[in-house]
Amino acid sequence: MSEQQKTVLVIGGGFSGLTAAVETAEAGFNVVIVEKTPFLGGRVTQLNKYFPKLCPPNCGLEINFKRIKNSGDITFYTFAEVEKISGQEGNYEVTIKQNPRFINDKCVGCNACTEVCPVEISNEFNFGLDKTKAAYITHNQAFPFKYVIDSKNCKGKACAKCAEACKYDAIDLDMKPEAVNLNVGAIVLATGWDLYDVTKLDILGGGKIKNVITNMQMERLASPNGPTSGKILRPSDGKEVNNVAFVQCAGSRDENHLPYCSYICCMASLKQATYLREQYPDSKAQIFYIDIRTPGRYEQFYWKVKDDPNVTLTKGKVAKLEEDTATGDVLLTAEDVLLGKKITARFDMVVLAAGMVPSTVASKIPTDISYTNEGFIMPASLKKGMFAVGTLKSPVDVARSVQDATGVAIKSIQSARR
Amino acid sequence: MEKKFGVYICTGCSIGETVNIEKLKKKSARVAKIEADNVRVHHFLCSPEGLELIKNDIKEGVNTITIGACSPRVKFEEFDFPGSIVERVNLREFVAWTQEPMTDDTQSLAEDYMQMGIIKTQKGSLPEPNILQDLSKTIMVIGGGMSGLSSALEAAKAGYQVVLVEKDAELGGWAAKLYKETPRQYPYDKLEEPRIFNIIKEAESNQNIKIFKSSVIEKTEGQPGLLDVTIRKNGTSETMRVGAIIMAAGWKPYEASKLEHLGYGKSNVITNVQMEEMAKKGKITRPSDGKEAKKVAFIQCAGSRDPNHLPYCSSFCCGTSLKQAKYVREKNEDAMAMIFYKDIRTPGQTELFYKNMQNDAGVLLTKAEVTGVSDAGNGNLYIEAENTLLGEKIKVEADLVVLATGIVPVTRAPQEYLDGLTEAQKKGDEAKKAYIEATPKPEFILNLDYRQGPELPSLEGAYGFADSNFICFQYETRRTGIYSAGCVRQPMTMSDAAEDAAGAALKAVQCVEHVAKGIAVHPRAWDTTFPDPLMIKCTSCKRCTEECPFGAIDEDEKGTPFYRINRCRRCGTCMGACPERIVSFKDFSVDIVGSMIKSIESEEDEFRIIVLACENDAYPALDSAAIKRQKLNPKARIIPVRCLGSTNLVWVTDAFSKGIDGLILLGCKYGENYQCHFVKGSELANYRFSKVKETLDKLQLESERCQLVQVSISEYDQIPKMINDFVERVEEIGPNPFKGM
Amino acid sequence: MAEATVIKPDLDFVKGVIEGGGDSLKKCYQCATCTVVCNVTPDSNPFPRKEMVWAQWGLKEKFAGNPDVWLCHQCNDCTAYCPRGAKPGEVLGAIRKQTIKQYSSPEFMVNFVNSKPFIPVMLLLLAGLLSVAGTFGIPDGEIVFSKFASTHFLQFVFTPALLFGVVVGVLGVKKFWADMKKAAKVSSGDMGGSISATTQEILSHIKFKSCGVSADRFTSHFLVFYSFIALGMATALGVLYIDILHIESPFSLTGTGFPVKIFGTIGAAGLLLGVLLMISNRFKNAEKVGVGSYFDWLLLTIVGVIMASGILSWVTRVAGIAGVAYTVYFIHLVFVLSLFVYLPYSKLAHMFYRSAAICFLKYSGRETRK
Repeated sequence: MSEQQKTVLVIGGGFSGLTAAVETAEAGFNVVIVEKTPFLGGRVTQLNKYFPKLCPPNCGLEINFKRIKNSGDITFYTFAEVEKISGQEGNYEVTIKQNPRFINDKCVGCNACTEVCPVEISNEFNFGLDKTKAAYITHNQAFPFKYVIDSKNCKGKACAKCAEACKYDAIDLDMKPEAVNLNVGAIVLATGWDLYDVTKLDILGGGKIKNVITNMQMERLASPNGPTSGKILRPSDGKEVNNVAFVQCAGSRDENHLPYCSYICCMASLKQATYLREQYPDSKAQIFYIDIRTPGRYEQFYWKVKDDPNVTLTKGKVAKLEEDTATGDVLLTAEDVLLGKKITARFDMVVLAAGMVPSTVASKIPTDISYTNEGFIMPASLKKGMFAVGTLKSPVDVARSVQDATGVAIKSIQSARR
Repeated sequence: MEKKFGVYICTGCSIGETVNIEKLKKKSARVAKIEADNVRVHHFLCSPEGLELIKNDIKEGVNTITIGACSPRVKFEEFDFPGSIVERVNLREFVAWTQEPMTDDTQSLAEDYMQMGIIKTQKGSLPEPNILQDLSKTIMVIGGGMSGLSSALEAAKAGYQVVLVEKDAELGGWAAKLYKETPRQYPYDKLEEPRIFNIIKEAESNQNIKIFKSSVIEKTEGQPGLLDVTIRKNGTSETMRVGAIIMAAGWKPYEASKLEHLGYGKSNVITNVQMEEMAKKGKITRPSDGKEAKKVAFIQCAGSRDPNHLPYCSSFCCGTSLKQAKYVREKNEDAMAMIFYKDIRTPGQTELFYKNMQNDAGVLLTKAEVTGVSDAGNGNLYIEAENTLLGEKIKVEADLVVLATGIVPVTRAPQEYLDGLTEAQKKGDEAKKAYIEATPKPEFILNLDYRQGPELPSLEGAYGFADSNFICFQYETRRTGIYSAGCVRQPMTMSDAAEDAAGAALKAVQCVEHVAKGIAVHPRAWDTTFPDPLMIKCTSCKRCTEECPFGAIDEDEKGTPFYRINRCRRCGTCMGACPERIVSFKDFSVDIVGSMIKSIESEEDEFRIIVLACENDAYPALDSAAIKRQKLNPKARIIPVRCLGSTNLVWVTDAFSKGIDGLILLGCKYGENYQCHFVKGSELANYRFSKVKETLDKLQLESERCQLVQVSISEYDQIPKMINDFVERVEEIGPNPFKGM
Repeated sequence: MAEATVIKPDLDFVKGVIEGGGDSLKKCYQCATCTVVCNVTPDSNPFPRKEMVWAQWGLKEKFAGNPDVWLCHQCNDCTAYCPRGAKPGEVLGAIRKQTIKQYSSPEFMVNFVNSKPFIPVMLLLLAGLLSVAGTFGIPDGEIVFSKFASTHFLQFVFTPALLFGVVVGVLGVKKFWADMKKAAKVSSGDMGGSISATTQEILSHIKFKSCGVSADRFTSHFLVFYSFIALGMATALGVLYIDILHIESPFSLTGTGFPVKIFGTIGAAGLLLGVLLMISNRFKNAEKVGVGSYFDWLLLTIVGVIMASGILSWVTRVAGIAGVAYTVYFIHLVFVLSLFVYLPYSKLAHMFYRSAAICFLKYSGRETRK
């Protein structure tokens, strides 16, 4: 097709954005990805395994990165944000702010800067479970494989130890933000989601009880590239865990917090129960739920986990967690609804199946869009040629994000082909 | 193209401190047959200055380039030289970062890697795309329901011609049978009028869409871009050429006659489908006496989530029953709707719909296991249930019972029929085969004239759904160019189906665009190489046709295989399967890898191990181990392959006859939840390896010298040990007696 | 396996609860947060989750002899934490109203006392009675309330009213007790011990202390509770002075009848504080638990008016503003009478049923010691 083809801009380089980008590019269009963090891949890079196949997310990411590398039609900006959008379908003017990475394209990924960096910071990639340096890379399969310096914590030129250590002239502490202007035909919004702030869950001790962690922290604990190299150890004392409770709907389906269902948490907890069971053959997992939501063929996975005699599913929402300060154990109270009994039980560790918050709650897209009370994008309010993907519209899992992102790709080429 | 060789070695990233570069240079020059001085060494090859070296040489005519530096997974933009053959030798990850510096072992490892890289460039050539003639970009959509119509419209709006084939006389499918739809937008509080009729109008008036009603597919033959589809309508047939197919043939409700235990068969027990019809007509009445129903019971998961019926959740029924409860209430404010559920499944924002629907005095809900439905006189029924929220085993009277029956994909019946036949054939059970053939043949959908069968192959554990096996790649298909959408793929709601249909449309568009350029489709969607067999040597053994996971190879009337190249996904499984070793790609062939293997010198006192690593998962895992500076065994030489399925057994002979002590294959997990991107590459490799014993016996070698290990991309911390363990076992067996011969 | 219980959903009961202040009832999706955050429920067959589903299904027979709705002190922790806004605390209040209806006879009285004409009718009734007694009007001279309504008149009218209230209440409790025994399949227990433990619990207000979001309820209920006792004492002493010691009212702090005045003043002050606290709590927690139903407000209004008119009539009497003093006093009497009649049919009936329920919990041995 030889008529004028415009570029498609994808905002967000998580799995939805990557999918939208590679699928659009492979249909013959130029694509630009703008990702806020220094790396592509988004949330799924923090996951140990996908449900229900229990396969590693880096596998699919590797393929998609390979598609990007080989495509030639995809340009990406990491550590960049979209600042301004104007225009209309077929002719959007977009201003991107490229934040300074302080490390340039010469970086070879040798790790010398990290080794000499004197500043230790909380590792947000691991949800604060460990420390990293101000010059860092998130993990060994990060893409692009290029280090970054955290400007908030870096001591700057006064220190410059990294610049001395780098043999490749890759450190540039003078780097300034740069503006990039683009003209695109369509815009795909794929800025993803954040985990609900569990410190708001006062009765569940979120953020206060050491051995009450979030489901995303559990993913990091179980990941080979996580803070414990994949060993599930509880935060308070690094002890192996033998008895773990999963608290479903920690924030979700709760109008005091998130009135919607976060879609992924049932499957995620079932999956995490398998992490535990695989690592510790005698361990026990107990999942407290309101409704088990494993739609479609996910049901099979539910059955498989449920059949494990060491996994118990209890209908009843947990509404009280207390710390036994002497042992670090967590005391959990719930009603076993089917037995009509209020029970209190002791666990080594408790995982809060925390919900999803659309990223647009923290930072809105710089254009005129209507949002729901909970911050999701109302698709009908989007201008023509602008499309929202996946968790920006409603909580969904990776599979459905991929479906949606692929579907959005055809809509974006409709707008870009004018 | 006359090759002019260039060899480049980077000494940065501690390569220079790990390897004697002078020696490496000399060795490389010897292999490349160039002057040692022409081997360019730079301390920072990926820097602009370093790259300038290469670019200058290219200007001087160099066109076949071997770069000894970092992994090909990084610095891909820098080392991209279009028009040249480029091979990147992973000296950094596989040598500098994983070996002891400056030892003989390390040196010989680096030299072997450089040598193999150069040999690859010597043997390989630049690919040129294979573009077939008379290609069509038309997209055919099978099914005129929500999914099919959505796919058709999306493709049409993107500028493609679409042919839509609907089996019924009218478009709309199930969506047209609804009284109301569940809300589609925030705040999910109002039932909506069905949208399908507008969509039908839009499709019917779209210039790009040609619609065939009351039509079925009689035959589909050819390959993407060249699919000749015969459509039968009212006894007459018409054949047309299309580029790709979207199968959105939909679903059927689970047969309620199998739900006698839930009362089906009694006059006042109906299904959710019947409920829609009734609501559309007017009042909610009892079939037995036409009286208005006042106590309506909805039994969820009627058939679904039941090991005796459908072992999956049908995804839409909770929403549907909540909606139908609203019908009951809206039509009669004194009526009650009681919903008995296992779990209420209204995921995501549809939770708000649940919340809104349940907030009604007359909508009563309880979790329950319904144990039976019995007569209560006057046509009324007792629903008996246990494990309820009400705290005991209960019995409650209703005057109408609605069974929330689930989804059965229309692909299921043909798949079961075909799988039954295949299995009977496999077991040699003629009686069973005859029996199946005697039963009425289910309605086939695609009627593919493929050697590999007339429908999409069934996926293990998918219960007839034509689904993808991958989470990351939802439209993965084993019949290239044919994509499924909507409820044939997964149980889903109507809104999800419309979304899904758009995705399938994009994949179909990609497919026709790629075949037009002679490029493969996912996952090697950039690949312009293709299998190019030397047919003169073909013995028609048909192993390639049998093993190709994508059914890309058919046989002519003489039984000689021939490629339908647009179906091919370039995994190289045929190359691995061929005992005559006649299948080659321009940059990947039996000879190329064989020559690389044979180039490795294995002296009497040294152990040498070949590692064939899947480039999708094992290879990145090895890189990742290197980034963590884990040590790799210096005796192992890693050779990436497209897929373990491309492993040809002759490589075993090549290796052992040259004195290699062991051969280990690192590939993806296989089995039901396979991770292989080419379906069963590692499984096939394993199968072939099980047969390798014969070969080894012939050579009087221990079969333990060959091993396949399943490894995932995240198991990088275990990979060094896997290789070490293997090396240790081989060392225990002792050196290959063919060494030095 | 036990035989299945036939349940009969009653849509009217559901609507009754919804209309009676439980309009959030149907929002409940049975997560059981309420049961967990409730600090007064026993662990076995805890409430209020199960009460919510029973009410949603209109299973009114489940509430016959159900002590649990009465064990609820409506501290509203459940309502505050309810993820669905189903306000179990309020719903239970509405269910209690339905239960009161069920146990109080004659039934029409329940609807009557909770209806808008109730207070006007009581006003007319009292005015009528006073007219019959011939004292309806503003007497001359020094302000002495017995000129307006003689002590004998008061005894003649108010004692039977109170007795009526108490008898209806006690009869209701009797029925309730029997139902509770039947429902829980309990035939005997330690009655004396249970009563004494119950008395202690009530006097100490220990259960109120476990309230989370409405922790102030302890103070307000404590104040109102003891103020009522003080006012009761004042009344009893009044009767003692007037009828037995023949010391005529008005009493004063300096006169012989000073104990009456002391109790009266303490009671009035406590009540003032308590009621104000209750109202302020209601509004403070309004965001989380809602401002409450008509049912709740009626009681607060009656008590509030009694308290306010009592104080005001005293102040105006001392100040010598006859017109206002007698009018306010009349209003005071109307509301006291209303309170007595209202007693067994209203939210105030909780004093009967809740005491009985707490007692039964101990009697049946269901309450597990923590």
